[in-house]
Amino acid sequence: MKRDSLELAVIGSGPAGLAAAVKARQEGIKNLVVFERDERPGGILRQCIHSGFGLEKFNEELTGPEYANRYIKMAGDHGIDIELNSTVLELDKDRSIRVVSEKKGVRDYACNAIILAMGCRERTRGSLDIPGTRPAGIFTAGQAQRLINIEGLVPGREVVILGSGDIGMIMARRLTLEGAKVKAVLEILPYTNGLIRNEIQCLRDFNIPLMLEHTVAKVHGEYRLEGVTIAQVDHRRNPIEKTERFRSCETLVLSVGLIPENELSKTGGVLIDPRSNGPYVDELMETSVPGLFACGNVLHVNDMADNVSLEGELAAEGARLRITGQRSVSDQMVDLKAGLGISQIVPQRCSKKQDVWLNLRVKKPMGKIKVKVGDIRQKTFVCARPAEMVRLKIPKKAFEALGPDITTLQVSCEEA
Amino acid sequence: MNSDVLVQDGYLEEYDVVVIGAGIIGSMIARELSRFQIRGALIDKEPFPGFGVTKSGMAQIHSTDFCPPGTLKGKLCLDAPERFKRLADQLDVTYKEVDELWLALDPSQIANLEAAKERGEGHGATGYEIIDAKKIRELEPHVTEKAVAALYIRGLGVIHPAEWSFALTENAVQNNIEPHFDTSVLNIQKTEKGKYRVLTSKGSFNTNFIVNAAGLFADEIAWMVQDHHIRLTLKKGSVAIFDKSVSHLVRHMIFGTFSESHSQNVAPTAHGNLILGIHYTKTENKNDTSVEREGLGKIIKLGKELVPELSERDIITTFSGIMAANTMTNNGDFYIQPSEHAPGVIHVIAGAPGLTAAPGIAELVVGMLADAGMDVKEIKEFNEKRRGWPRFSTARLDKQKEMITQNPKYGHIICRCEKVSEGEITKAIHRGASTLDAVKHVTRAGMGRCQGGVCEPMVLGLLSKGLGIPIEKVTKKGKESFVTEGVMGK
Repeated sequence: MKRDSLELAVIGSGPAGLAAAVKARQEGIKNLVVFERDERPGGILRQCIHSGFGLEKFNEELTGPEYANRYIKMAGDHGIDIELNSTVLELDKDRSIRVVSEKKGVRDYACNAIILAMGCRERTRGSLDIPGTRPAGIFTAGQAQRLINIEGLVPGREVVILGSGDIGMIMARRLTLEGAKVKAVLEILPYTNGLIRNEIQCLRDFNIPLMLEHTVAKVHGEYRLEGVTIAQVDHRRNPIEKTERFRSCETLVLSVGLIPENELSKTGGVLIDPRSNGPYVDELMETSVPGLFACGNVLHVNDMADNVSLEGELAAEGARLRITGQRSVSDQMVDLKAGLGISQIVPQRCSKKQDVWLNLRVKKPMGKIKVKVGDIRQKTFVCARPAEMVRLKIPKKAFEALGPDITTLQVSCEEA
Repeated sequence: MNSDVLVQDGYLEEYDVVVIGAGIIGSMIARELSRFQIRGALIDKEPFPGFGVTKSGMAQIHSTDFCPPGTLKGKLCLDAPERFKRLADQLDVTYKEVDELWLALDPSQIANLEAAKERGEGHGATGYEIIDAKKIRELEPHVTEKAVAALYIRGLGVIHPAEWSFALTENAVQNNIEPHFDTSVLNIQKTEKGKYRVLTSKGSFNTNFIVNAAGLFADEIAWMVQDHHIRLTLKKGSVAIFDKSVSHLVRHMIFGTFSESHSQNVAPTAHGNLILGIHYTKTENKNDTSVEREGLGKIIKLGKELVPELSERDIITTFSGIMAANTMTNNGDFYIQPSEHAPGVIHVIAGAPGLTAAPGIAELVVGMLADAGMDVKEIKEFNEKRRGWPRFSTARLDKQKEMITQNPKYGHIICRCEKVSEGEITKAIHRGASTLDAVKHVTRAGMGRCQGGVCEPMVLGLLSKGLGIPIEKVTKKGKESFVTEGVMGK
């Protein structure tokens, strides 16, 4: 099939993809297209009508759609082509993509660079193995959010929420504001799995009971959900039988984790880090396949949209260097390895040629910690929780202290 | 499926034959009956064909070596793959050829394989081969190194049974069998004229002959015609489905050991996932399709024993199905018999492997009806062909382009995991898929790794539009299974 040529294809028009496209255009990339499968640009931000976005990027507090609209406007001002209702079906190692849409049918593009910005998907009941029946009335938090905020539909009136991820807590508030009774938010861990501000603003301020170390042991109801058995869990996170009790509800909302959506990346041969579930990248977000870049939640699940956009801009810079032939595969790369106390780290390698923004997550809630990057950089943080990302910059200068034979740096954290 | 046109309150019509149950066997029988000059009805309590025990099994067309010598089921399974292949072509549905490897995990188990080979050959099967560990690794590099030998049987297959029941029903309807879904049989009475009156939730059917293919409910139907000796022994089987990213691990139907509490089996599905089973538990409740935590642990253990790389991380869903054990006969055979008390009533109590034997059972039952006096004059215009609709994800590039040219909605992907387009979903709804689950089973929208997380709200909208009903009336699986409470502020 005849292929059209593009300098840059951006897959996804959420906060990562749009920021990448705008930055790439500002840096002089002309022949670029953003592909979006939804009918409007903005990605998941379209349904995040709560505030809390933009504090870093725009110095003001915006809602999700407002934040997205800033970028949509910038993209419009720059004349960036966003192709809507367009699904990328295949991605090849040779940087070609196959796209389908109603308007244009099936088309192939050969690209000099591709930025992957497809975001993430939610874990489902199936991946959790919640026992019981299969009635209507069980939603993932994002699905419930879309039903209410985009489709204008009410999922249900009596709700139990399993999991204390950010969207789950935000949906607890949202459902309450819509007149539903949120009976409880259950969290299997001894601590919440979202931002502290959401725990306060979404649960505590609305008197929604939070039950830590609890889970749904069973689902009941043949047609529509009739209730759930909730139970306390033991140290191995298994339900304790004698603590089981029935709670009636016709709606169960699951907020039990997000998974970077890398099925397409894998078809392009991109290597995936099992810790982050996203591609291995360097400091300019280039994956294991030269010319393929990744940013935002497809790379690792972020806690803030602002950071997602920053990653998009880094990817755009990497793509520009690649397109203009200024970036070559370096044999001088240093691997960054998640060490003691660290569950995941992005980027996983760097070139030593410029500043590196390191994103990491700790394994368990900690007080004051000291994060060390080998012997070249350390920084103290007042507290760290798994739900909140820790960021630190390794200035280019710090690499000067590194001997040429050092090819790996351990990133670790300890109580300070 | 939409049968409102045909059914009104107080409905009473005369039929030659009524088939109760539109599972794989009932729909196969209805399709076979549609060859003849008769008036026939196919009744099911669910809104869509194949939604009882049919949709929740392993979906495999088995070899005959599982069947004890001299059994009817051994005979009916023998040519099953050929029958299914022929039907797949006629009905435009998926049949995927898959070979079987029954593993011996230690030398003591080799005798079981030899016995099975002998059993199969006793039924007339040929080509069975016992292979060594080296050959096993060549065929299936990811199976356990403990496998010392295997029974290798070629030319079997897998299907998606709900899709098949739907296609069979459609073909039967094309040839004038009347479908009555969402219709529960409440009682069966004898009329003065020596006929039967089948009383249902939607009206009554007067008929000369009845086929009881009600699956798990066949006992209750039998009691309605005083056949109280018919009793079912239920067991629940739980299975898991894996993400397509690990489908490369298994290419054959792989079996291990069997016991009261399990059949160790992992295999590809018709649509390219892996299915792993089966953990059995006893149950008394026909609606108890819940999956237990303990059972899940056991399933995963069974799988890892066969293919160590299988991981619970890659499970996208789990489900259970209730089946009737073959306890109506002494040797575990099918019970397919005319009623002892009610002439013209045929009971079909199959149990395993009912799916495999379904085409053979259908012919057998038609023979029994003829013996009982049903007039079996073939219609001239019998149309054995049923056409499905184009599937975007499996079509070749030129076909994909043609599809979109003809209907641009084929270019609008709704289910991104399985690449199902709006065109296909709208088509399925138009053809009778009236619930979220029905759309899921015939189009695969919602069958993928996100389990409908993304496409479900969109499918809801398409159902509401296609069925012409308010969105709050759209259900997951009929009756009271409403998905939402409707538009906010109303």
